[in-house]
Amino acid sequence: MTSKRSYYWLCIALAIPAFIWLVPTLWMVSLSFQPNEVLARTTASTWLGMIPIPFTWDNYAKLFSFGDTPRWFFNSIVVAGGMTLAVLAVSTTAGYALARLEFRFKTAITIFILLGLMVPEQAIFIPLYTMLAKFGWHNSYGALILPRVAVPIGVFLMMQFFKAAPKDIEDAARIDGVGPFQIFWFVMLPLARPAMMTLAILTFLYAWNDYLWPLVSASHKEMFTITLGLASLQSNFAQSEGLGRVMASGVIASLPVVVLFLIFQRYVVQAMTVGGSKG
Amino acid sequence: MARQTTGKRKRTLSQQQAAWALLAPFLATYCAFLVYPFFKGVWISLHDWNLLAVAMNPAAAKWVGLHNYVHMLWGRNITWGPLSHPLVQLLALAVLAGAFGLHRAGRLSGRSAIPIAIAALLIFLLLGFTPGEGGRWFDRRFWPTVGNTVLFVTLAAPGTTIAALLLAAALNRETRMMAVFRTLFFLSQVLSVTVVTLIWQIMFSPTQGLIDNVIRVFGGSPVSWLTDPHFAMLAIVVTTIWWSLGIAMILFLAGIQDINREIYEAAALDNARGWKSFWFITLPNLKRTITLVVVLQIILHFQVFGQSHLMTQGGPDDRTQVLVRYIYQSAFRDSEIGRASAMAVFLFAIMSVFAVIQFLIGREKSE
Repeated sequence: MTSKRSYYWLCIALAIPAFIWLVPTLWMVSLSFQPNEVLARTTASTWLGMIPIPFTWDNYAKLFSFGDTPRWFFNSIVVAGGMTLAVLAVSTTAGYALARLEFRFKTAITIFILLGLMVPEQAIFIPLYTMLAKFGWHNSYGALILPRVAVPIGVFLMMQFFKAAPKDIEDAARIDGVGPFQIFWFVMLPLARPAMMTLAILTFLYAWNDYLWPLVSASHKEMFTITLGLASLQSNFAQSEGLGRVMASGVIASLPVVVLFLIFQRYVVQAMTVGGSKG
Repeated sequence: MARQTTGKRKRTLSQQQAAWALLAPFLATYCAFLVYPFFKGVWISLHDWNLLAVAMNPAAAKWVGLHNYVHMLWGRNITWGPLSHPLVQLLALAVLAGAFGLHRAGRLSGRSAIPIAIAALLIFLLLGFTPGEGGRWFDRRFWPTVGNTVLFVTLAAPGTTIAALLLAAALNRETRMMAVFRTLFFLSQVLSVTVVTLIWQIMFSPTQGLIDNVIRVFGGSPVSWLTDPHFAMLAIVVTTIWWSLGIAMILFLAGIQDINREIYEAAALDNARGWKSFWFITLPNLKRTITLVVVLQIILHFQVFGQSHLMTQGGPDDRTQVLVRYIYQSAFRDSEIGRASAMAVFLFAIMSVFAVIQFLIGREKSE
């Protein structure tokens, strides 16, 4: 009885911080639906601007009718999608080899890869820049994707998974004379689907939101990702673009990751707990 | 018998080959885009290397040995005195004494007391170095930048950890409502740094910001949060806590769920509920998770860049200039990638200390 009542009180007590937590995001959404002329005067028109009255679709319409936003959005899809596929491909294969196959120097290679976890991207972006500059690769999808493929954390996640996967099926297949490639492809990959899902979502979120590397690598406007493009609008939002439009592009830039997160919450949370405590 | 052995050997051989074939794509990209750049970075840091000059003429990179490191860390007529940063140094001494006292009283194991004591001693000793009469640092901006980064971490990491811990304890119920709350608190985590800073830059704006709008409603006068030297760093910290609370909360939830239910039930019989059970059961059992979350936050926040770059441009007066932003500026605004690389190596050295600590804590559990 009392515990039920205290539960309701807890809910009410939590609703307040939860609402405060949500306010900044809601405010962005609300501003994105208000006309720029109004916003230039005040951002507090109805209920401190939390309700989009006067209402307009204009900011979104303009965003997609001209300007670079559609192009940036497309770039982000290519970069994040490409990176996700590449990371999945190299991490599952390497993770499987390290977890399940016997070969020389296995321990040494594992340590060699795990040591890479200690190197933050912020510590190597300069040599990466000069290296890709030498080949004239900057401002290409390759330059935006490739340096991000070699993430040790992906291999680590897959390795942990394959280590825990049941051994019997694999052994049965091996006794039947099935080769390691077939075992990997037909037996282990289908089993690994949940882990791959986790890794894929984690990679996609990371790639979509990454800022420093695109900032260093892409100098041409048409090769910006949406994250970078948004940042380029941000510095002079008041003068050139209009607050409403920048807010609209912020909403557009976050929509894919927010939707993805809401659908695949379970996997994201899983990734956080595994990657957080181990990686 | 003989056939069997050859069969076995053939199988292991093909397993060898398969393993290398499966590893090759990863190892190739790994070596090309992580291992090689890492050593190249160290190599660059040993040169006087101007980005533009070397692009024109590859021979323009001049070997200077450790000069960049000396330039970064040292100055002219540097002396050591005990209290040049009295507040921080006294605090470090207090922590040192506290760690020693708690260890003597048996409240703190040697394993935690020793690193804390060493860290406190290091802070006390390192902060004692100051330029003496007529002396100065070779790089006036480096140590203040490190100081800002450390200040940012010391504000953001405990802030996030405490808030996340309280939330996780409150949200640890498997009901639909609680699941909705968890999602709400986690949601900001998936936004990119540019969206987060976009939102908060305008939240903090003195003319258009929601915060100042609210202050005006209550009759106060607006504050220009991001250009006021007292508030700029705090504003960035608030933004960061809002952004990164989610992971910490999820880790705490996972940690709390690992605690045996029976302990709570036994405690409930002794009338320990709510705050009492949080203080006497949840907290002591979460020690490992708390340490882990703090170390993770330190690693994460030491790499802060976007918040400072986009919200304050390092200002006002370099108050929010942080290490990664200084590296970025030295490299791409000043083209001094030799110096910038030395700073990147410095960053790596600090990060790897915490990475090792994190690894050790992570291993403790699996044992």
